[in-house]
Amino acid sequence: MNEELDSQLSAMFDDELPPAECELLARRLSRDEPLKARWGRYAIVGAVIRAERGVRLNAPLAGRVNAVLRAEPALAGHTAPRDLRHGRLRWWQPLAGAALAGSVAAVSILWLRAQTPGEAPLTAHLAPPAALSAAPAAAAAQGDSYIVPVPKQPGVTVPSTELANYVVAHSMFSPPVARRNLLSAFMTSEPATAGTEEPQADVKGIAQ
Amino acid sequence: MSRALRSSGGLFSLALAWAVAAAAAGEEPARKNAPDFAPAQWLERMDHALTTRNYDGTFSHWQGGRVEMLRIIHRVQDGNVSERLASLDGSGREFIRTGSSLACYLPDRRTVVVEELPTEESLVGFPTVNDQTASFYDIREVGHTRINRRVTHVITVSPKDEYRYGYRLWVDDTTAMPLKSQLADAHGQVIEQIVFASLTLTSRIPDSAFRPEISTTGFQWLRNDAAPQRQPGAAALAWSAMRLPPGFRMTVRSAQVLPGAAGAVDQLVFTDGFASVSVFVERQPAPSGPPPLPESATVGSSSAFSTVVDGHKITAVGEVPPATVRYIASQLKAQGAAPVGH
Repeated sequence: MNEELDSQLSAMFDDELPPAECELLARRLSRDEPLKARWGRYAIVGAVIRAERGVRLNAPLAGRVNAVLRAEPALAGHTAPRDLRHGRLRWWQPLAGAALAGSVAAVSILWLRAQTPGEAPLTAHLAPPAALSAAPAAAAAQGDSYIVPVPKQPGVTVPSTELANYVVAHSMFSPPVARRNLLSAFMTSEPATAGTEEPQADVKGIAQ
Repeated sequence: MSRALRSSGGLFSLALAWAVAAAAAGEEPARKNAPDFAPAQWLERMDHALTTRNYDGTFSHWQGGRVEMLRIIHRVQDGNVSERLASLDGSGREFIRTGSSLACYLPDRRTVVVEELPTEESLVGFPTVNDQTASFYDIREVGHTRINRRVTHVITVSPKDEYRYGYRLWVDDTTAMPLKSQLADAHGQVIEQIVFASLTLTSRIPDSAFRPEISTTGFQWLRNDAAPQRQPGAAALAWSAMRLPPGFRMTVRSAQVLPGAAGAVDQLVFTDGFASVSVFVERQPAPSGPPPLPESATVGSSSAFSTVVDGHKITAVGEVPPATVRYIASQLKAQGAAPVGH
């Protein structure tokens, strides 16, 4: 096995492999038996190493990944192209949907990093709906594709005052720590985050 | 851009005084060799401390590369809870709770949202850590460390699937207060952090500490003074989720009139013992155009998702990933008349 592939595998486990490369590696993993075996060893070694830093292997997820790998002979070798043409489920799809395809190995190990946020590679905190985030991954997995823009339609708005109401009402039923986080985030959110609509004329407002 | 501090990397440096005034609050002396508590017990002790102690603290709130300082004052006196959370260098927003009254001051909107809760609702509903919680989270103590010279227990709460977030908590050995907390997604990426810069536990906090600092002259006040009233003959529909993410169950069903809302709003609360999601159901006016599309929103690391089902607007809000509120909201169905209340 060449060093580059080894490095990619390592990066995949460290969640440092770019999504596109992760996608390619995942596809290769499904049909490359030696690589698959190495993947298994990485899982064990990685878990042991990380355990020293308070990191654990998520056994159920890792087990599911391994189980799917073991039960996926149809995708090995020359049968893969036909399967791809017919749009069959790939081995990562049963795990958590196409949204997770780009980081399939990463999801098998869950940990809370010791780094401070400023040191950690931060992910976007505003995640798109699952269906939207799944689209690029699915397109990448199926080769060349293009996206037809969806005509813009009026959405169900969550006006700021209404959202404020919901947040406050919900906060009363949150655990203490989560509640503090929720209210703190609400306190510190940019005004635009919660909408910018003017007070409505028909609300039960009382000017003081 | 607000006056909030923005960090380009690294920790926001705090040079504020640290004063956990345990003695003033009649605390036990600092226990360097505290009895061994299980990780779940530390979480229970932490929840108990946060909800029953009197404290006044300043903390940094980090989220999305943005750091802002806030102050929290919490008092329990004669069974009444008072709390004030104020943004010190950002929007100037304040959240003040006195007993069953919740007031959210939004100077950037020149609006105050006031909500009156029934007394019996004011202290209920907190999810508790139990055996079921352990089925969906891995709760561990991963070590001890010092934060501002205080011994803390580092407790991690790691989700076992992608439906929930995880926490890393630095719980003070003596007071069980969380001096630092991180919220992380299912990949372990920290998405929100709170670090106390100062914290004082005290036996007495004056009423004046729970008055807003901002002037509300000319502000719009939105209240929910009225009890929920439905149209004559209109029975409440029993909204329930057909399916839920593993471990979630409904714990609260209530009807209320939210400030500024025209009609009653049903609130359903779902929890897995650690995370919670509220679903609000409101009757929608008759649509005049094409059916609206579902929409997502976020409040910090919390998620909201809104859609329309059978002429009702369904909005789910919770400190969970976006996919979870979307899933729960999409599973809500009306099944007929239902009693209202807990």
